[in-house]
Amino acid sequence: MKNKFSLRRRVNNMNLVRFRFWFQIAAFAFIVYGGYIGLDFGNKLPTFACVYNAEGTGGKCYVGMLQHDLKHPIDMFMGYAGYAFLISLAMFAVWFWVLNKGWCGFVCPLGTMQDWLSALRRKTKIRYSEYSWANRGKIKSIKYILLLLLLLLPVMIANSVLGIPKLPNGLSMPFCDICPGRMLIPAFTGNFNQFYIDFSSKTDTVMTTLGMMIVGLFLVGSFVKKRFFCYFCPMAALQYVFSKPALLKLYKDGSKCTRCGDCYRACDMDILEIADDVTSKNLVTEDCTLCLKCVAACPEEGCLEANFAGLTVFESTKEGFILRMAMDQNKETHVH
Amino acid sequence: MYTEHTIETSAERQNRHKAMEAISVLNALKEDFKSPIHSMGYFYDLFEKVYCRHEPLHEGKAKIGTMCIQIPSEIIYALDAVPIRLCNGFYTDDEIGSDLLPQKSCPLVKATVGWFASDNFSDKPDITFSPTTCDQKTKAGAIIESFGHTVIDVGFPRTKESEESRRYWRESVKSFAVKLSKYQGKKLTRSNLERSIKKVGYAQSLYHKLTEFRKNKAVPILGVDMFLVTNAFFFDRIDEWTGAVEKLILELEKRAEDEVHVAGKASPRIVYTGSPPIFPNYKIPIIIEESDAIIVADETCSSNRMFNDMAAVDEWNLYDMIDSVSDKYLKACTCPIFTQNDDRIRRIIQLVRSYKGDGVIYQAFAGCQVYEMEQRSVLAAMEREGIPILYIESDYSPSQHGQLTTRVEAFIESLKNRKRMKK
Repeated sequence: MKNKFSLRRRVNNMNLVRFRFWFQIAAFAFIVYGGYIGLDFGNKLPTFACVYNAEGTGGKCYVGMLQHDLKHPIDMFMGYAGYAFLISLAMFAVWFWVLNKGWCGFVCPLGTMQDWLSALRRKTKIRYSEYSWANRGKIKSIKYILLLLLLLLPVMIANSVLGIPKLPNGLSMPFCDICPGRMLIPAFTGNFNQFYIDFSSKTDTVMTTLGMMIVGLFLVGSFVKKRFFCYFCPMAALQYVFSKPALLKLYKDGSKCTRCGDCYRACDMDILEIADDVTSKNLVTEDCTLCLKCVAACPEEGCLEANFAGLTVFESTKEGFILRMAMDQNKETHVH
Repeated sequence: MYTEHTIETSAERQNRHKAMEAISVLNALKEDFKSPIHSMGYFYDLFEKVYCRHEPLHEGKAKIGTMCIQIPSEIIYALDAVPIRLCNGFYTDDEIGSDLLPQKSCPLVKATVGWFASDNFSDKPDITFSPTTCDQKTKAGAIIESFGHTVIDVGFPRTKESEESRRYWRESVKSFAVKLSKYQGKKLTRSNLERSIKKVGYAQSLYHKLTEFRKNKAVPILGVDMFLVTNAFFFDRIDEWTGAVEKLILELEKRAEDEVHVAGKASPRIVYTGSPPIFPNYKIPIIIEESDAIIVADETCSSNRMFNDMAAVDEWNLYDMIDSVSDKYLKACTCPIFTQNDDRIRRIIQLVRSYKGDGVIYQAFAGCQVYEMEQRSVLAAMEREGIPILYIESDYSPSQHGQLTTRVEAFIESLKNRKRMKK
């Protein structure tokens, strides 16, 4: 018999939206303001803890570190710099394995900002926009291209690759230049110094101008499209490479799936597989942010679940669905 | 003594025949089975009232006829009207319709057309919306229109996987909402739609509570009673219906505690699928349950398919509510009119697993082409899964009773043997 008051049942019946809202605020506070109370989670974090928020940040983003690590002449890289690089990468992976893509859905300050902008849009009753399925498929590769560029450019500054002369030093942190986090995260501590265009060299002018444009796009884009930026995020691409052995997983039991598409409708990243794939067990796909909205929106008993190291943490139940949709009682008095 | 002699009109005769059909089924439900449920009384009375005494339920309300489950009742309730689902199970009406449709048509469609041809309703729909589901229903709309009734087609796609069909159906539902809103002279708003989504959702949540009892080893409610309860949702006043089901759930809770079992200890547990049993055409379900088996779950559009999926709204604004209501009626639907239907097969298997079914009975109306055509793929899938299945074809006529009983009994006997062998 099911215990009416069991912890498991209470977790499965939880209001995920509210839980996530507060969790994200707490995570945002740790990452953006943690530095003021002496928090430092190191510089291998798999999330956008921005180095440009020097005083406030509670840790540092690994993508920044990665670009720095790669900017070494090849002979140095073959020596100690290479070891340093591998150790950094391993530490990044260890951090990442704890939460898997949950870093995106629950911790990432840029993700949280986008969710706030979505909430604002929702309040104004403006409809969200969607990509067509064809375009949705096409833009998937952009994040890998960005990742490749941010890996290659620093290498090409320190080395001449394929006879191409070394690139100018202005490209040493190419992704940071265009990352909206560089401007927006420090802004939350009252530091607006990152909103600038640097005319000191051609490269700097181009890169900082691009950066300003992308901030604008970020703000407008994520107002109209849920999690607009995440589609293009090179961090997501890098993370996905390490996703398989991670501890937190999103599992699906396809035999219980009716393909009703409720999960797809709830998905901020419009991931079709979550609804249509009835054969895979692991549903952490490349764009998944593990926000678990799909689990909360699934009406089938035990069809979707968040699993941590083999333990079910949160799973879909009929009862939970009905409670979250406020369909558990007749609120109106009988009208005759 | 003086008695006045009058000649029975055709409408009176039709009503008398329908009353006879109805009462014989109601009496069977009331009297042929052990441990009757007290709170089923509401439903027996309701059907008697509507189909024996032909009393209207919705006087003063706009009545919106729907030809299939795909017309969103949430939108109809939000616009202050009552949905009346016109799927008909009467042999009397089937015979009337037979004159108007090809010989090999589906009895359900013939009965619906016959009902309109006779124009004899206790609650006559003011306007009817007809989703373009199967060929026969689609064409029936135009025939009904030729009797002078207003029928509006609502385009329904016959594939559900593609983006185009999803969009198409969303547009169809929007245009349906606009037409109905004009007809009613009332605006569809965020608050009235939210309220009706939750109201219908609540009714569905009650259905889910009811079905939970059927997973028990001792099943406290008959399959035929369940069909009657879900069938009442076609035309009943929703608040009365939910009130009656709440009472039924309370009684079933008590019965579940006392482990009341409406069937025998060794009675095989049946999952029922195929053409919908619609009152009073409970021929096959009654034969099954009178042959010492019990229906524990079903996959039909008069019951499970109508209640299983609730609208899932992400943003409670009008735009998202309409889309989620649309998706509910397309994506979650396991109707055989769709080109591919792996979803239906998976649903049947899942029902067998979660309700511990011993076998499946697949009933198709003779003339219900889509169910007839899908039979082979379902049978093959059940064979792969090792689930015994019986396929039967039947219609509304009372004539094949003996033959059908023999086949059902033989199947049930074989299920019992199988159960014994397993032990």
